[in-house]
Amino acid sequence: MNKATQFVKPVSYPVLILVLFLIPLFTKDAYLLHILIMTEINIILASSLRAIATTGQMSLAHAGFMAIGAYTSALLVMKLGLSFWVALPLGGIASAVIALLVGYPFVRVKRVYFAMLTLFLGAVIRLIIMEWRNLTRGSSGLLNIPPPNSLNFFGLYNIVFDSKVPYYYLILVLMLITLLFLYRIDSSRVGRTLLAIQQDDSVAESIGINVTNFKVIAWCVGCFFAGIVGAFYAHFIKTLTPDSFGVLQAIYVIVYMVVGGRRRFYGAILGAFILTLLPEFFRILKEYQPFVFVGILLIITFFLPGGLADLPKLGASLVRRLKGPSVTHA
Amino acid sequence: MSLATFVQSILNGLAAGWIYILVALGLTLVFGIMNIVQFAHGEIYMLGAYCSYFLIKFYGFSFWIALPLSAFLVGLVGIILERFFFRPFRGRFEPSIIVAVGLMLLLQTIAVVGFGTDTKSMGGIVPGVLKVSGVTLSWDRLIAILVGIILVAALFLLIKKTKTGQAMVAISQDIYAASLQGIDVNRISAFAMVVGCALAAIAGSLMGSIFSTSPFMGTSAITKGIAVIILGGLGSITGAVVGGLILGLIDGLVPLLLSSTMAGIVGFGVIIIVLILRPRGLFGHE
Repeated sequence: MNKATQFVKPVSYPVLILVLFLIPLFTKDAYLLHILIMTEINIILASSLRAIATTGQMSLAHAGFMAIGAYTSALLVMKLGLSFWVALPLGGIASAVIALLVGYPFVRVKRVYFAMLTLFLGAVIRLIIMEWRNLTRGSSGLLNIPPPNSLNFFGLYNIVFDSKVPYYYLILVLMLITLLFLYRIDSSRVGRTLLAIQQDDSVAESIGINVTNFKVIAWCVGCFFAGIVGAFYAHFIKTLTPDSFGVLQAIYVIVYMVVGGRRRFYGAILGAFILTLLPEFFRILKEYQPFVFVGILLIITFFLPGGLADLPKLGASLVRRLKGPSVTHA
Repeated sequence: MSLATFVQSILNGLAAGWIYILVALGLTLVFGIMNIVQFAHGEIYMLGAYCSYFLIKFYGFSFWIALPLSAFLVGLVGIILERFFFRPFRGRFEPSIIVAVGLMLLLQTIAVVGFGTDTKSMGGIVPGVLKVSGVTLSWDRLIAILVGIILVAALFLLIKKTKTGQAMVAISQDIYAASLQGIDVNRISAFAMVVGCALAAIAGSLMGSIFSTSPFMGTSAITKGIAVIILGGLGSITGAVVGGLILGLIDGLVPLLLSSTMAGIVGFGVIIIVLILRPRGLFGHE
């Protein structure tokens, strides 16, 4: 690597995070902030799905686990009068507990069959929410979910959730914590173990890795963050219906992850970012708008097999080709 | 609950079951040959329903001409899909899912833009009902069952008795060995896709005539279709038939005692349990 990238790399992340924190100072535009909040929600979803996918398992139940977190948190606040700040982590824990309950029997099932199993699990979760009317109000949905309780910092500074700005900061912090946590796993010994399982779980087993346990842990961690995001989503959107958590929503999360590029940590982030943000610029197309999403999707699958994360590599190889064969490989 | 409602529910369940089977057979063929879970198959089914609708309402064809014509036209769509969308991703799980999802959204959007979001009714196949000792059976559903049985029998013969059918079996067992035997994998893949799409079109037309057509009708069909092939075992035709009938009967009978949402929960619950106990489905084998 040359000097420029050596310099850019450690500086770029703090700068990027600083920019994200400064955005609300420059624009209070509710629409823009809403889109950014949705983008950050999708980044958490795609990255947490990647944690599951690193063990070679594709989950189609991610929208379902988001629903569990969302309904748990909303109901705890509405029925039991709990504070949002307690209900939010409980939403994540509820998702993780359910994931743990089904985890051991589920991970015995491999590949396509696992994906299909999670597809049905997602469907069952949604149908149970529809059926359990006296708790969830069924398909008419939970309405008027209260916003998070205002935060008071030693009487000095009071944050009231009355505009998009505090929500933006909350999800930004949640996203950074999630990404930091997932990144730490990814670059640790555990991350390497998960990668080994993905490549060949019987070989991993033969060198003494407890494949089942690691798969279940990865699955629970992924579902936990889906639940957390769901809890945030409930108090942000303030209305929950089972239809917000259908199969299509689960598929979207997979699309973000795969189109972004699953092999690299930032792939899922990039995919969720581009695929949530870019179609918004084409709102003028109205009912033709999905074509933009589909277009991006197909172009990337056909021409960038490694996903968006491969763009820098592609760029580098293009530059090399333009420079001609005289460049020596140091 | 009287005996009449019970019999009617069984009939409704069987009609739904045979329609699921027709959808599932296409899915299982495409999976067996190309190793692709074709998520856009529900949209093919939706296209088939609209195709019949337009042939009947705008060109004045009778249902019995519109049905094969719609199967033929949608079959042609299948050739295009196989050649340009699925062939490059044969046997690769993730990219093929993304392409299928892309197609699914593409076809749905085309339907929304082109046909509108309102539901359209093409009218029943044969109006009226059949009354047998106090039990009313609608002709539409009886015909759906009959068409389903005939098509499944035809497909069964095609696979068992023709050279092309045997080539399909060979590919689904070992694609590499099959190509070494001189089987043209691309040609067979295209053929499987055409048959699958035609069956889906017929299923969609039948469902459209019993209920109505909508751009989003494919979403529930694909979930049911996948459920059927997973329950029966991927790649198995017998499995698809048995799985379809089980799911159809659950959908027909459970609402009598509980609710239609409960039918969904029971149906998917059964599949989850079967899959955990027998990861290859009822009739699947590796």
